Amino acid sequence: MTLTQPSTALDAETIARIGELSDEPDWLCNLRQRWWERATQTPPPTGQEEEWRRTSLDALPRDASLLTDAPLLETHLPADAAEAGVILTDLRTAVREHPELVAKHLGVSDGPASHGHFWALAHAAWTGGLFCHVPRGVSVDGTLVARHVIPRSDVAYHPVSLVIAEEGSSVTLLEEIVSPDGGSAGWFGGISDVRAGRDARVRYATLQQLGDAAWRIGAERVVVGPDATVTTLNAEIGSAVTKLGLDVVMDGKGGTSKVLGLLAAGDDQQIDINTVQDLAADHTTSDLLYLSALYDRAHASFYGITNVRHGTRQTSSYQECRNLLLSPQAGAEPIPVLEIEANDILRCGHGATAGAIDPTTLFYAQTRGLSADEAERMIVRGFFEQVVAQISDETIRSRIIDALAVRIGTDSSDEVAA
Amino acid sequence: MTDELVISGLEVSIGSKKILKGLDLTVRQGEVHALMGPNGSGKTSLAYTLMGHPDYTVDAGTVSWRGQDLLGLTPDKRAQMGVFLAFQYPSAIPGVTVASFLRNIYNAIHHPKQPDASGETSIKYTGIPLAKFRKLMEEKMALLRMDPAFATRYVNEGFSGGEKKRLEMLQMAILSPSMAVLDETDSGLDIDALKNVAEGINASLSPDMGVLLITHYQRMLNYVKPQFVHVLLDGRVVMSGGEELSHQLEANGYDWVRDQVGLPAGVGDEASAPEPVAQH
Repeated sequence: MTLTQPSTALDAETIARIGELSDEPDWLCNLRQRWWERATQTPPPTGQEEEWRRTSLDALPRDASLLTDAPLLETHLPADAAEAGVILTDLRTAVREHPELVAKHLGVSDGPASHGHFWALAHAAWTGGLFCHVPRGVSVDGTLVARHVIPRSDVAYHPVSLVIAEEGSSVTLLEEIVSPDGGSAGWFGGISDVRAGRDARVRYATLQQLGDAAWRIGAERVVVGPDATVTTLNAEIGSAVTKLGLDVVMDGKGGTSKVLGLLAAGDDQQIDINTVQDLAADHTTSDLLYLSALYDRAHASFYGITNVRHGTRQTSSYQECRNLLLSPQAGAEPIPVLEIEANDILRCGHGATAGAIDPTTLFYAQTRGLSADEAERMIVRGFFEQVVAQISDETIRSRIIDALAVRIGTDSSDEVAA
Repeated sequence: MTDELVISGLEVSIGSKKILKGLDLTVRQGEVHALMGPNGSGKTSLAYTLMGHPDYTVDAGTVSWRGQDLLGLTPDKRAQMGVFLAFQYPSAIPGVTVASFLRNIYNAIHHPKQPDASGETSIKYTGIPLAKFRKLMEEKMALLRMDPAFATRYVNEGFSGGEKKRLEMLQMAILSPSMAVLDETDSGLDIDALKNVAEGINASLSPDMGVLLITHYQRMLNYVKPQFVHVLLDGRVVMSGGEELSHQLEANGYDWVRDQVGLPAGVGDEASAPEPVAQH
C-alpha cells in the first residue's frame, strides 16, 4: 500500500485515493475532501506573517513522497486504564474500532491561525496518527506512551493526534516522534488536537526526536475547559528545521494551563516556535515557560502572544522564554507580545533572556575540580531543571532527561537526588 | 620535605592594568597565613590567579605547589592537586542541588574517571556510592552545624551572605584540600555568622592543610589564629610578621605600613581615603 505521489502533486483526486487505499468510510472521505478544500483556500505562509518572518519555507521538501504505509503507532496503555474504557491507539485503528467517537471529535476544530494551511493539509492527507480518549470521570494512574516511528527520512507524513479527556477525567500521555538521521530531507507535518473537558486533568508531553534532515512543520491546539488543569510539554530535540505553532485556549472559567518547552539544539538546527495563550474566560490561569540550550550554530526563535480577551475578569498569565547560548555562533530571538484587552486582570507578565553562561559561574565550578565541559553540562542541566522539576511523571521525566542527554552529554554521577 | 606553595616574583594584569607587581609568598602545609591589605591592593586578584581565572594574565613570576608549576594548569587540574579557593562572592548555580553539586565535585577530586584503553571514560563509572557519600555529607554538615535541608537547595541560589560562606566551608570540609585559599571569607558576615564560619575553618584545620586567609580586617583573626601575617600593598607583600602584626595594623592602619616601607599615603588603595581597619 504505497502512494508515491509527491506532496506537491496533492490534489482532490489524490486525497480521495488515500481514503480508498484504506477503504475508509464515506464520512471520513468527505471530511478529507472538506479539509482539502480548506487547505486550498488557506494559502501557505508567505513569510510576511509575523509568525513566519524567521523561518523560510523555500527549502521545505514539498516533493517528498507521502508516507502511506506508516507503521502502526506503538502504544503502551496500562491494563487498568484499558479496563476503565480508556482508548489509546493508532488513528487508523480507531476509525475502524471506534468510528462514532472518532467522527465526533476528528476535524471539528480549527488549529493555530498561523498554521491554518498545515492544519487543513494534515486533516486531508493524514495517513497515521494517534487517538486517545479518556471517558468521563476516569482517572488513569500510570503513564500512557505512544510512539510514532517513521521508517524513512525522505517522506512526507502528516499524522493527526487527537487527545480527548472528557469531563472529570485524568490522564498523563507521552507522545514520541522519531525518524532516522541522514538521507534526504523529509517533511513531518504532524498536528495535535487536545481537549480537556470540565474539571479534567491532562498532562501531555511531546518528545520530538526527528532525524537531522527532517522538517517539522507542526501545530498543536489545546483547549482547556472549565476548572480543567492541563500541562503541556514540548521537548524539541531533533530535526533540521522546526516550526511549531501552539495555541492554548483557556475556554472555560477557572481553567489552568502550564505550557512548558525544552529545546536542545546543535549543528545548524533552527527551531522556531510561536504560541498563543488565549485567555478567553474568567478566572483562568496560563503560565508558559520555554527553555532552550543552543550549541554550535543552532538558532531558536520564540514568538509568544498572550491574549487577554475583552471582558474577561481576573485572569492570570505569564510567559517566560530563556535561552542559553553555548557557542558564539548560536543565537536566539525571544519575542513576547502581550495583547491585553481586559481591565480586570490579576496578572499578565513576561520575561525573555538570551545569553551565554556567566564565565564566573563556569570558573567557580572548575575550581571545584570539574573540567570546563563537565561544568558546562552541570550548568545546562541545572538550567533545564526549572522545567524538568515540574514534570511530575517519572516515566516522562526520565525519557526527557535521556533525550536531552544526547545533546548535553552525561556524567554518570548526575542522578543524585537530595 | 614539607609540601609548600611558593609564589615568586608574581606579576599579574587584567587587561592593561597591572595589579600584582612582584609578589613573593610561601605557605607550607600545616601553616595558617593571613594576607591583609586594603581594598584594591590585589588580594582577590592573587586568589583568582592562584586558581587560574581566565581574565588574569600572568606577566612574570612563578607559582609552584609541591614542586610542580601551577600556572600552566586549568582550574580543575589545580583543584585536583589539592588547591582550594573559597570565593568572596560564590556563584549561584540554579537547578543544581547542593547535594548533587557536592557529590559531583567530590568525585571530580577524589574519584576521577579513569579513561579506559581507548581513552574513553567507562560508562560504568559511578564515583562514590550514594549512601557512602550521603554519610560523609551529613557528617560534615553536622560538624558545621548546618540544617540538613540545606542539601536540597540549589547552589547559592537565594542564599544569604552567611549561607554562601558556610557552603564554601562545607565544600572545603568535604573536599579536604591540602592548600586552601580563603578570600575574604569574613566579609559581609555579622558577628554570629563570623564565629560560625570561623568554627568551620578551625574544624577543617589539620597538619595536612596549608591556609592562606585573605582578609581586609583583623577581626577574623580573633577566631582563626595565623602563625604568619603579611601585608599586601600596591601588588606586593611589603611586610611580614607574626600574629602581632595584625594587632599593629588594627591599631595603626595601613598608612602606618606605608610609612614604614616608604610608600606614599593611599598607594595601593583604590579608595582615595584608606578604610578604617577595625571599626566594623
